[in-house]
Amino acid sequence: MSLLKPFSKLPDLNTANILLVENEEQFQQNLANTLVEETAVTVTVRLAKSLPLPMENDESRPRIDLVVFIINLTSDKSFESAKASLKYLDPGYFLGKVCFMATNARHASVRTGCLDALRQLAVSLHCPLLFAEDQTPVGAASSARRLLTILKVASGLVPNTTALYLSNLTRCTMPPDIDQPSFD
Amino acid sequence: MDNLAKHLLQRLMRRIPASMLKSTLDKWGRLTAEKRKSLDFTQSKWTITQELVALYVTENPNQGMWHTFQLLDPEDDAHSVELMQFKEQFKSHLSELKRNVSVKIKKHTDEAVWIRVAWGDGLSRPNHLKATYVVHYLQTPYVFVNALSSKNKPLLLQALTLSTKHQQIKAANLSGQKLTALRDLLMRQYQQVFPTKYPSPLPEKLRIEKVQAEASASRHRMAGETFGDGMLPALQSAFFQLETKFKDPTNEAMTQRDEPFICSVKFSSSNLLESLRHCASSGIASTPVTPLLSSIPLKGRNYFVITDNVPTA
Repeated sequence: MSLLKPFSKLPDLNTANILLVENEEQFQQNLANTLVEETAVTVTVRLAKSLPLPMENDESRPRIDLVVFIINLTSDKSFESAKASLKYLDPGYFLGKVCFMATNARHASVRTGCLDALRQLAVSLHCPLLFAEDQTPVGAASSARRLLTILKVASGLVPNTTALYLSNLTRCTMPPDIDQPSFD
Repeated sequence: MDNLAKHLLQRLMRRIPASMLKSTLDKWGRLTAEKRKSLDFTQSKWTITQELVALYVTENPNQGMWHTFQLLDPEDDAHSVELMQFKEQFKSHLSELKRNVSVKIKKHTDEAVWIRVAWGDGLSRPNHLKATYVVHYLQTPYVFVNALSSKNKPLLLQALTLSTKHQQIKAANLSGQKLTALRDLLMRQYQQVFPTKYPSPLPEKLRIEKVQAEASASRHRMAGETFGDGMLPALQSAFFQLETKFKDPTNEAMTQRDEPFICSVKFSSSNLLESLRHCASSGIASTPVTPLLSSIPLKGRNYFVITDNVPTA
């Protein structure tokens, strides 16, 4: 199985590498354009539809510091594709180097239970769950900023902070009243 | 034009005094100057109403329901049928087949021949408000028909076959609201363009890279090869009917039924071919594109019946 491994390659100076995985391949492009505008750090972005990544590019690919799964809550296929891709990540990534980003959370056609299922998944993997607004440039910019914060820590560029430490602060938790009926 | 609108127009025309008719139509401003000139105001109001409805239909071909027919087995001189000959032949054949029909034939600038047939029975005059419209491009085997009743269908088809010097005509399994889309879908069969090489975009920023670019490029290429590139005709629906018999050796009661089960699937969209192409290129539909979907542009049909013996009709 071609697992993506977090520490099998050497890092570059002052560089952070992020992998955006999205089944629809739409929001990732906007995020990527905003992410590379960062000047303090050299950010490289890799865009993928799903894992596993093809073996042919493996040599030229840098060490991936943060893997972000972008899930469109209105599409079941998006969620299923992200879940299937999780199998191809080395367990080392789940110590703070994986993040879930949900879009269209307030959309009318979100199936009930979809958001809860995603939350359960994030909780079980100890990963943060971010919500993004993907229709406007302002939404893309604010999501990119939040990703950058996590990315800088995950690539070891913030002194005295490791990805594992940050993930303890940012990881998703189930709200205590989740078994109460919600107002839908 | 739907029946309600026709009825409304009729009543309006009746109420407008004949002397003010011309000026009222001018004020409405819906007809171009040349069309207004072509209307003969010495005719009765009923005739003028019919003319207006006919003008409306020819100006708005993307309304109503058009059905396509295909002419088969051309005779040797079918290719040399030209307009005047076709007109005379069609009118004479149709009047032989049925008395009391009124036929008007006109050629439009885009080489389309529009035929308007008004049917009258033994008691009443031909009714142009409920006319059947036929669009045919000479030298092509396709005929598009709108608003044809099943009673008059064999007569019209017979007249068309004879006047275009063919031997048979059959339903082409393609129907829809937009005449322009149906026409483009069929006529494009003669002009399919296959790109020899997909242009690869220059790497603008080396810092953003698509990891699975090859897979994505090959999906795009296959989608483009199946459906074509650029603007696609705005087909709006496709209908698949599956007939299959129950197959389970342990369930005798069901397998003994003679009639097959029927399952119908209808696709509708504001531009169906565009959405199918996007499904293929984004990976929602698997590539290479299944013949069920690729038959739509390749064979120019949107009605399919799939039976057990033949996977694609």
